[in-house]
Amino acid sequence: MKGKEKEMVIPRDFNLPKEVSEVRGQDGKPYLQFNTGMLTLYKQTYGELSRFFMALREARLIGSRCKTCGQVMVPAASWHCPNCNFAEMEEVALPHRGVLAATAPITFFPSASFVGQAPFCRGYVDVATEAKIASFLPCRLRTTTGIPRPGIFVKGLELKLVFEDKRQGTILDIFGVPMVEIPKELRKKEPLLASALNLKAPPVPKIKAEAALKPALASALKAMQGMAAKIKSGTRAEKDLAGRKHVIKVKTGGGEFDIKIERGKLAVNGSSPRTPAADFTMTVENPAVFSKWVAGGSLSDAVMEGELWLPNLEAFPVLYALDRLPRSIRRDQEEK
Amino acid sequence: MMRKVGIVNAAITECRGRWVEKTYWGLFQEAVRATLANAKMTGDDVDSVVWGIYNDIFEHQAIPESALTGLVAMTNKPGVRVTNGGATGFYAMRAAIAEVASGMVDVVLCAGGEKATDCFDPVSQSPTPMVINTIAYSWDPFFENPLGATANDSYMQMCLGYNDSHPGDIGDPLVRAKIVEKLCRQGNRNPYAQRRNEKVTVEQVMNSRWIIPPFLRLLEACMYTEGAGAVVFASEDKARELAERTGEPIVWVRGVGAANEAYAVGRGGYYKPLDRIVSDRLAAERAYEMAGVRPADIKIVELHDAFVAQLMITMGEMGFVPIGRTRALIDDGIMADIDELGDSKAPPDGQILVNPSGGLIFGGHFVGGSNMFSLWSARKEMIARQVPLALVHGTGAINACYGGAIVLELDERGM
Repeated sequence: MKGKEKEMVIPRDFNLPKEVSEVRGQDGKPYLQFNTGMLTLYKQTYGELSRFFMALREARLIGSRCKTCGQVMVPAASWHCPNCNFAEMEEVALPHRGVLAATAPITFFPSASFVGQAPFCRGYVDVATEAKIASFLPCRLRTTTGIPRPGIFVKGLELKLVFEDKRQGTILDIFGVPMVEIPKELRKKEPLLASALNLKAPPVPKIKAEAALKPALASALKAMQGMAAKIKSGTRAEKDLAGRKHVIKVKTGGGEFDIKIERGKLAVNGSSPRTPAADFTMTVENPAVFSKWVAGGSLSDAVMEGELWLPNLEAFPVLYALDRLPRSIRRDQEEK
Repeated sequence: MMRKVGIVNAAITECRGRWVEKTYWGLFQEAVRATLANAKMTGDDVDSVVWGIYNDIFEHQAIPESALTGLVAMTNKPGVRVTNGGATGFYAMRAAIAEVASGMVDVVLCAGGEKATDCFDPVSQSPTPMVINTIAYSWDPFFENPLGATANDSYMQMCLGYNDSHPGDIGDPLVRAKIVEKLCRQGNRNPYAQRRNEKVTVEQVMNSRWIIPPFLRLLEACMYTEGAGAVVFASEDKARELAERTGEPIVWVRGVGAANEAYAVGRGGYYKPLDRIVSDRLAAERAYEMAGVRPADIKIVELHDAFVAQLMITMGEMGFVPIGRTRALIDDGIMADIDELGDSKAPPDGQILVNPSGGLIFGGHFVGGSNMFSLWSARKEMIARQVPLALVHGTGAINACYGGAIVLELDERGM
């Protein structure tokens, strides 16, 4: 295959060199450990579930309905009703909308197979709302307003079920988006494809300027500039930033500023027209978040709480690197 | 129960984040060796063995117990391995109890453990993402695993669902932090606890890093632990005979209850609801019924606390505090304080000693044997504090759909 390489089941760097190494025990003695893996590859059949996934490929959502009790299984997990002595179930076409059955958890720390894909949100969607008994569709939840954050995917939220443009026959072919975020003229469209929505470049939320927050910005800038000055060559803090090159615009209620990361150094300056175009913008009402960060707090925590806004998940790992700085500087100083 | 079943003795290994000094062979052998030594028994005194091992991928062997048989002196005896998610330890003990109760055998060794943190993620160069990747295989390969469901989601989804229906209960971070602080002081007194040297204050809990907001900060979650535990169950006659060797009182199994909810969540029918842990409620009710006791009779609870918020819900489901007002654990002073009780006092009326071991948050969580860890602690505390009744709880599988409970009674001659 020319051009783009096929995505593989096991990513290229998901491996370890064959070796035996020494590791020290709590008893102070050396022990040996060997690099190994437990590997199985599958061509796993969808079997009786194939019908459901074939429908997804065709941008249709189906369930199975019991002819006896009327319960609807979403997804169609079985064609025989376990509640009615395994009575036959029939295919039922389902609407591309639903209600979030319970507030959904957001994954910030994913398992190894999903590293680089977080944060993401996954929840249970009540689709067959007319049926007295129904199972819920486990579903990815996405928003057009930035990365998922608490307060968006709450119980009772009405969702539009949207299909990926290119579908393979996996549960990721379909995802939920808050109905209020769907343009009115598209709300009844079935199927609605992802390309009709702006999921990649959300509009930056407007932050109201408040004079009362100006001193907070001034002290945050001072704190960050003080911290930036402590990042010297060969230090832990420099290593945290190594290989990173970012320009981040930050909009706060007290005013705007820019963060520049380049060649292992951090520069924080009030907004200037000479600053190159930002890779992304983040917003926060109260600039004190940044003073707290310098004092050993965490910017990623502010994102998880929904206080600090980020446009997309590509922006998220930068915050982890920034979060490490205050601790690294403290440790660098302790060693002096 | 068909026949009375007694606990002759129990032991655990030290709980550690990682044991480079031992394989799971060595951990199981150490736990069994300590149990038999405590009981002044040898392998010859045992009729059969029940193993609790959760996940083959952690042990890196598909029939891990087969390698253990000879190493723990159980050659040529019947042996069965139980694997039931987080509730593996409970279900292994249930199987062991059933073997004795049925009259099939007189003395059963039940051993559980896990070697979880040899897993390693090459991308982050750390074990944790691979550990949670391994646990994520507990979810189905068609829907949930491809969506990125994690072990945390299992309990987090229950907490979020409960909070939707009962706001203002588990949602108060101060109440949760106060529980963590109590558990920490309890874990400090457990010489086998993983975090026995850690001091955690209410403020530290409330300022610790988020794992999943709004109910899970780093200091509110259980650990990954490597370790093993073992228990000897015996019929009444055999238990009395064996107990004479040590003079230690017998702790009797008065009631056992279990329930597994459906995997699929939904509305009505047999679907799992998202705002309750029905498995915990049914398991506890069935254990109480078999034992002929009420929650008010029980003063020591060793509960499977994956998260503090889930501990609160489970205490509600098991009938110790009202559902919707589980914060009564702190608000009404229902959770006893270990510093007031010291090493030998029983909790006063109206109070319960919850997880004197430090629980899975401070004590340890070697999955296949975590509930043996809990039973080991409950037995020890009942004897030390002369408390007649205690409850041991286990939960597991996705969305906490497996639940189990055991009611224990201290022999009157031990009182």
